[in-house]
Parts: sequence; structure tokens; C-alpha cells
Amino acid sequence: MATPILRANKLVKSVPTAEGLLTILDGVDVEINSGEAVAILGQSGSGKTTLLGLLAGLDLPTSGTVHLDGEEITAMSEEERAKVRARCVGFVFQTFQLIDSLTALENVMLPAELRRDPEPMQAASRYLERVGLAERTTHYPRQLSGGEQQRVAMARAFASRPRVLFADEPTGNLDLTTGARIVDLLFELNREEHTTLVLVTHDESLASRCDRRMTLAEGRTVP
Amino acid sequence: MNVRLILRLVARDWRAGELRLLLAALLVAVGTVSAITLFVDRLQQALLAEATSFLAADRVLSGSQPIPDSFRAAAISQGLAISDTLSFPSMVYAETSAGRNQLVSVKAVSETYPLRGTLRISDQPFTTDRPTESVPERGEVWLDSRLFPSLGVVLGDFVQVGYEKLKISRVLTSEPDRGGSLFDLGPRVLMRLADVPATRVIQPGSRIGYRLLLAGDDRALNEYRERFRDQFMASGNYRWQSIRESSPSIGSALDRAESFLLLGGLLAVILAGIAVALSANRYAKRHYDHVSVLKTLGATPNEIQWGYFGVLTVLGVGGVVLGLLLGTGIHLGIVQLLATYLPTNLPLPGARPLWLGAATGFICLIAFALPPLLALKNISPMRAVRRELNVTTTSGLITYGLGTCGALILLVWYSNSLWLTFWALAGGCLVCLVFGVIATLLLRGGRLAGMQAGSLWRLALAGLQRRRRENVAQIMIFGLAIMLLLILVLIRTSLIDEWRQQIPENAPNHFVMNVTSNEVGAMQSLLEEHTDYDGKLFPMMRGRIEAVNGVPVRDYQRRSRSADRGGPRLSSERNLTWTSELPPNNKMIAGSWWPSDTQESLVSIEQGYAFGWGLRVDDQLTFDLGGLKVVAKVANIRTVEWDSLRPNFFIIFSEAALADVPATFMTSFYLSPDRKRFLNDILSKYPTITVIEVDELINQVKQIVSRVTQAVELVLFLVLGAGALVLIASIQASRDQRMKEHALIRTLGGSRRLIAGSLASEFAILGLFAGVVAVVGAEITVYALESQVFDMPYQARPWFWLVGPLIGAFIVVTVGYLGTRSLISTPPATILRDL
Repeated sequence: MATPILRANKLVKSVPTAEGLLTILDGVDVEINSGEAVAILGQSGSGKTTLLGLLAGLDLPTSGTVHLDGEEITAMSEEERAKVRARCVGFVFQTFQLIDSLTALENVMLPAELRRDPEPMQAASRYLERVGLAERTTHYPRQLSGGEQQRVAMARAFASRPRVLFADEPTGNLDLTTGARIVDLLFELNREEHTTLVLVTHDESLASRCDRRMTLAEGRTVP
Repeated sequence: MNVRLILRLVARDWRAGELRLLLAALLVAVGTVSAITLFVDRLQQALLAEATSFLAADRVLSGSQPIPDSFRAAAISQGLAISDTLSFPSMVYAETSAGRNQLVSVKAVSETYPLRGTLRISDQPFTTDRPTESVPERGEVWLDSRLFPSLGVVLGDFVQVGYEKLKISRVLTSEPDRGGSLFDLGPRVLMRLADVPATRVIQPGSRIGYRLLLAGDDRALNEYRERFRDQFMASGNYRWQSIRESSPSIGSALDRAESFLLLGGLLAVILAGIAVALSANRYAKRHYDHVSVLKTLGATPNEIQWGYFGVLTVLGVGGVVLGLLLGTGIHLGIVQLLATYLPTNLPLPGARPLWLGAATGFICLIAFALPPLLALKNISPMRAVRRELNVTTTSGLITYGLGTCGALILLVWYSNSLWLTFWALAGGCLVCLVFGVIATLLLRGGRLAGMQAGSLWRLALAGLQRRRRENVAQIMIFGLAIMLLLILVLIRTSLIDEWRQQIPENAPNHFVMNVTSNEVGAMQSLLEEHTDYDGKLFPMMRGRIEAVNGVPVRDYQRRSRSADRGGPRLSSERNLTWTSELPPNNKMIAGSWWPSDTQESLVSIEQGYAFGWGLRVDDQLTFDLGGLKVVAKVANIRTVEWDSLRPNFFIIFSEAALADVPATFMTSFYLSPDRKRFLNDILSKYPTITVIEVDELINQVKQIVSRVTQAVELVLFLVLGAGALVLIASIQASRDQRMKEHALIRTLGGSRRLIAGSLASEFAILGLFAGVVAVVGAEITVYALESQVFDMPYQARPWFWLVGPLIGAFIVVTVGYLGTRSLISTPPATILRDL
């Protein structure tokens, strides 16, 4: 029987607003097994990104618990959660989030550098080659197209050898053809690296490539 | 994060141009402070050296008793250089056929005289002189120019001093410490100390001034003073003199210059601190996204904190080293620039300026740059997926608290003056409060005006409204920078004016003394005929106070609060005069001036003298004038402008009190350098009178004032540079937001002209408002500084209210336009893509 790598119980997230307390997530349960690819679907404002943030330990819920790789990250300090992220989490963002003062290679090297790996450059070069950008290692983000930037972001995400990869609308800023190529690459890498994939999207066709889908509406899971 | 990663981060940020402004601000802070302190340190040493030449030493121990050998030995053992002088009045006789005689002031000096400054001599009377390193040989004397006509001698002749015949070998034109004792009567005869015993002029009861000249480093001098303080005081026979005590006008010019230079440096520090804070803030803001991404990649808050601390350390070390080099370079440039005005051998600077520069750099970084950078650790990693997420930064209390603490430490350390720091800070706080209110009101008013404006101005005013909070802050920063510059300009102007007024053009530069009563009329006419003389001759006699209200003076002064003070005693002999009119430059502060025909025996006392010894109006004073007893009632107390170079007296009698006492007369007059020959005429005609030339002394004071003025102007220039950097940093801080808005407007069809026009208008309004705010702040602070620190009267400056805002608008538009030029010329697509 497969073991859950990610488990969330009764997650609630509320934020204060001028009109009072706004509940973004309202008692969401999630269970994702190791190696599984799960799509979280929903309209804008349904709470997908908030859920992704909580599952990845980027934020803390108002109530409820999240266990990641067997550890309850909701009981941890930001310092401890960061260590968990460094050890077993990778991200691909809609807006790529490359550091514009760093070259493609330097961006990919960052996770290994943060982990103080002795040879950060070798692995980084290998992943850049894997995403087809071996020739663009010295280019800065602004010198790359949107598709190329997202490929660098994927190389960076996999270079951290994550157990769980969180992808937030990875094709949201790309045209259809480029988006399709990026998705192909994402799933290929995911398979090769045996990573668990948590994909936030509102694109049905992208969701259909995952093993399982989960839909959110007004902060609750829809059966 | 490890060191390698930190170094890489710094290198990458540097490559991307992220750190340049912060480094530039740091360079300016360290560079300005070290340049100012290096220059000021050397200039102060040089000025002090020049000023001490008025004493011919760093310190002087003087007295009417011989200086004990133990004092001399102690000075030598303490590593101090010493020299002895001895002054006494004496009649000298020319060993010529005419055999004339003259009362002179003899100064006998040891071989090491003078320790500071130089003697100047010439080979003929009244001709061009030259400096000399030597003193008269044994058996020789050097004579003042004016003694040659009055004694009818030439070089090579002999004069008789007491029992000794001495050969006239040189003409003495100036000696450094001549100014120190203006009433050291008679023209000078300089001889060797070793020749004095043979003259046999020193007898019990002789009026002799003994001086031990001392030179060496300040610490040794102060230790020496401390060691002997009790002995100086106990005996009451010796007086300790430094330049500040012996020449108040030079002392106060130096004090004010020091205050000003410190104030200038202090403002440079504040301005540089603001520039560092602004650029660090901008750097931090531009790193919000980076930090959130680093956090998603597993960087812990601690790693972020230490990482940026590391960045700051690398930047600090680099900035400080480069800043010190820059400061040294600037200061060398200044020295080169002013080479013709500066003393040829400026003393080498101490280590303090470099320490001060380095510490300023690090304190600036810790106080002003650290808070925004440390706040980066609090950036939520969620920002990577939700960019609109608000940033929780460090609490205002910590940020402003650290900034204020840093500013305080720097100010106190830099100025060495709690008083100056207090005023600078009080001014700063008040200004922030007033500025905030005024800026908000001005912006509100601007919105109403903007409703009716054309599109260009409407865009500008809309921009101002949209970023109201930032703009209030920016008006405050611009206002503060402009205010600090205005303060400096105003204080400089007041200071220099005040200095120039201190020794007015054509101030008297010669004193005539020993004029007999039957020569007064002729002398008055002679002076009026050949010079612009419009004064009068004052009678002068020597006398001492014998009793106060019947209490013998020695008992009285023992009880006085000035009893343990150094300086002359109440019982000391003084020059006295009588007159029926209050002399010019004297002001009554208590009692009333007597009617010109009064028959009462009245006396007027100088303020410091009266207060120091507790003398009051209506006190009865008994005087002893060479055996003649005179009792007089204190009629009034008055102030005297001692720097006026007119005949000034501590004690003035009514005519009735002293009319029958025999007196000689004295006065002072102005003589231009080209009419010096007139002195020869006077002295030939009236050989018994004494002329004292103080023109050389006045020139020296003027020279010091002009050098101090140059230093002041130079510091102003450096501070202006720091001010400009604050403006640039402040404009850069809001550049990103402006960039985005203007790119959007251009994509919507706005022309470059519209953007350029609205930017210029926005800056003009900001500058105008900042100018108004600056004028208010500057007026308040200048008033406080003038009245509390520089001790000067306040002057109203109505023109200032018009010029201030216009200057503000001009400066901000110029700096703003230069800082945002690229915003207009870069294609909007590039800007939007980069954001």
C-alpha cells in the first residue's frame, strides 16, 4: 500500500479584511501518495494557490494540520519549515520567479548552494542540459523568452532533487504551443526523478494528465 | 548561507547595479567625513601653530618673580622644549656724540627663543625685512626701527644698557609675542639673557616680567600644568597662558571656526546617513522577490538575515576602504588647491580622522542600512506565489530607534559637544514634525489646484496625490537636505561677516604713548594733519586699588570668588585714566555716566573686572597712585570692546578725581603701510614719546580669519555634495514606481513631452514645497544656533523666504531630471518587461 507523503487535515485559512474575517479555505482535507501526480483545479479565487502555499509550508493555516514527508510542518517554526523545503520541496511558478541578477546557470545552482553542496555547478549544468538550454547558461533571465525562463525554473526545481514538486499554473504566462512543450517536459522530468507532483491549474487538459484531480470551490473540496 | 555564496551574491548584485547607490552613499559618507576631518585636523594644527606663534610658544608661564629652576627641570624631563625671556623697562643711552637716551622695553632671551613663530630683522630701519633663525649674539642688541631716529644711531653703534655697552647689530622688525603684551611700554631692545647680569639692572623692586616659554604635545603640556597647578595658584605669582587666554580675538575666531567645521562635518554625516538609509531601503525593496524565492528554495530566515548581514559587511569593508582612499584623495586635492593660502608645511594628520571615517561608515550602515535589510528575513515565502502580499517589515520603533541612536553616537562623537548635538537633534525632530504637517497641507492644497489644471500639471498633481505618503516623506527629505544646506550657507555668511567686522578696515594700528601734557595739543594737530585721526589723547598713570569700602584690598580679594583664579590680582598695578565723556566702544550696563562738569571723585569700572571682584555701583575705592591716596565712588559699570584697538581702560576716573595727578598721554591711530615714514618724523620731533606698531599683529589676525574662511567655504562645498547625493538617492527610491506608471501612460499614447513635462512639474512642485518647508526649518534652527552656539545676534532675512522655495524647485528639478532621464528615453516595452 502506497504511503501518503503529503496529508492535510481540516485546513482552514482566514484573513482579516476591511469587511471582516474572510475565509479562503474552509476545512479542506488532502492526502497525496508518494510518486502521485495530483491536479488542484478551481476558478480564480477558489483558494487553490492558498492551499498550495499551506501544503508546501510557505504559510501557516488558521487551523488544521499539514504533514509533509512524515513531519507536521504546521507545528514548525519558519526556520524549521525552510529546512524541510530545502530538503524535499521544489517549486515551479506561473511568473517563473528567476532572480534577474543571476545567469541561467546561477539560478539553477541556487538550491544546491543553499544546501552547501560541494559541487553545485555540475548538477546545475546537467539539469540545464536536460531542459535543452546547455547553450544559454550565461544568459540573464531578461535575455530569455518566457518558455526558456520556465525551463530554467524547472531545471532549478528539479536540481533541488525534491520529493514533492509544487507547480502553480506553470503554463499561465505562456502561449499554447510553448505551454504544451513545457508540460511535456514537466511530466517527463517528474517521471524520471520519481517526484510527487502537486499541480495547481484551471486548465482541464493539463489536469487530465495527472493521476488524480481535486477541485476547489469557495474554499471547499468538491466531490 | 556560506561565505562563498554571500560573496557571489554581492558580486551578482554589484554586476546588476543594485549596490552602486548604496556604495556611493557610503563612499560619500566616509569620504566626506574623512576628507573634512583630515583637512580640518591638519588645518587646525596649522592654525593653532600659527596662532601659538603669537605666544612664541604653545604655553607660557609668566610672572613677576623668577621662574624656579624646578619648573624648568620638570618641563625638560617631560619632554617639553623651553625658552626663557625676561622683560623690563630701562633707559638706554646712545654711545654717540649726541648721546641721546630713551626709555625702552628690553627683552632678554635665551638661545632657543622663539619656540613658535619667527623673529624678523632687516639691515636698515624701516626697510623690507626677512625672517631669521638666530637671536642676538652675546654683547649685541637688536633695536626697533623707531629707536634709530630717536637715539640717532646706526648699525654698528653702541648703546648703554645699565652698566653694559652693547653693539647694535640688527634692526628688529617683528617678534612673534609682541602682541601678547601691548602695554609693554617702549620700543623694543632685544638682547641675550646671558648679558643681563652684567647690566646690573635687576634690583630688588625692579618691574620685571619673567616668562618661561613651553612647547610640546598637548598631553605633556596639560600634564605639566596639572602637576604645577597648585604651585602656580598658591604663590599667585605665576600665570599660565595659552593662545585662547592671551589673545581673545584669535581664540574666539578659532573656537567659532571649529564649531562651524564640526557643524559642517556633522551635517555631512546626517546627510550621508539619510542617503545610506534611502538607498538601503530601495535595495531591500528590490530584494523582496529574491528573498521570497530563496525562501521557497529552502533558505531559512536566519540564513537570510546573516546572508544580508554578510552582504552589508562586505559592502562596509569595501566602502570604508575606498571611502578612506577617496577622502584622503579629496583632502590632498583641497590642500593642493589651497596650497598658496596654506602654511607651507601642514602638519601630518593624526589617526583620528581615519578612525572617524571608518567608524562613520560602519555606524551609518548599522544604524541606517541594517534595519531595512534585516527586515528581509520576515518576507513571507508566499510572496513568490502572491506578489501582492504585503510585506511585514521591522517595526518603526526599531528602525527609527536604531537610526536615531546611530545619528546620536555619530553626532556626539564627531562634535564632542552635547550642546551642539542637542540643538541639531532638537532642530531635526521639530523639523520632522513641522515638515510633516506642512507637507501634508501643501499636498492637500495642491489637489484643489490640480482640478483646474491642464493635463500636464494634472498628471503631475495626480502623481503627487497617488503617492501622498511617499511624497510627504520625500518633501521632508528634500526639505531637510535643502534646510541643512541653507543653514550652512546662512551660518557661514553670518560668521564671516562677524569676523570681518571684528577688525574693521582702517582700525587703529599704532599706539602713541608717553606724550607729556604740554605736547598733547601739538601731537593732536600733528596726527590730525597727517592721518585720518579723529580721537583724543587720554591721560595715563599707574596706580593700584588699596581698599574696597575701607577693607584693605588683600583681605578683600582673599574673600572674593575670583581669589583662586589665575590672572592679575585686584591689588595689581593698572593703567588708569580720567575723562569727562564715555569713550567710544564703551557701553554702560549699570549706574550712570557723570556730568562733564562734575566735581565729585567718581570712577567707572569695566564689567568683567567689576563682576570678577564683586565690585558694585556706589562702592568706595581707595587708590594708591605712587603714594598719592585717591578715594572715589563707583559711579557705573561698563563693557569695553577690547578688540577695537582704541585706548581701553579697566578703570576710568572723573576729571575732578585725578586732574592734579601728573600723567603722560596716549592714543591710537591708523597709519597706512605706505606712510610709515611718518613715524620717523614723529620720533625725530618728539624723541621721548613711544610708538607701538600693531599693524603686523592685525595683519596676522586678518590672515588667520581669511584662512578660516576658506576652510569654512570648502567644508560647505563638501556638504553640498552630500546633500546632492541625498536628493539623488531619494529620487532613485521612487524611480521604480514612477517608471511603471510612465511606461503605462506611454503605451496608452502619452508623448515623451507629456512624460518629461509632468515629471519636471512633479519635481518642481516637490522642490517648491520642500523649499517652503526648508526655509521654515532653517530659520528656526539658525536662530537657535546663532543665539545658543555661536553667540551672535539674530538677523532677519526676508529675501530668504522667496529664494528658498525657488532654489528648492531648481535643485530638485535638476537632480530629478538627471536621475529619471532614462525613464523618458527607454522604450515602454523594455520597462514593462523589466518590472
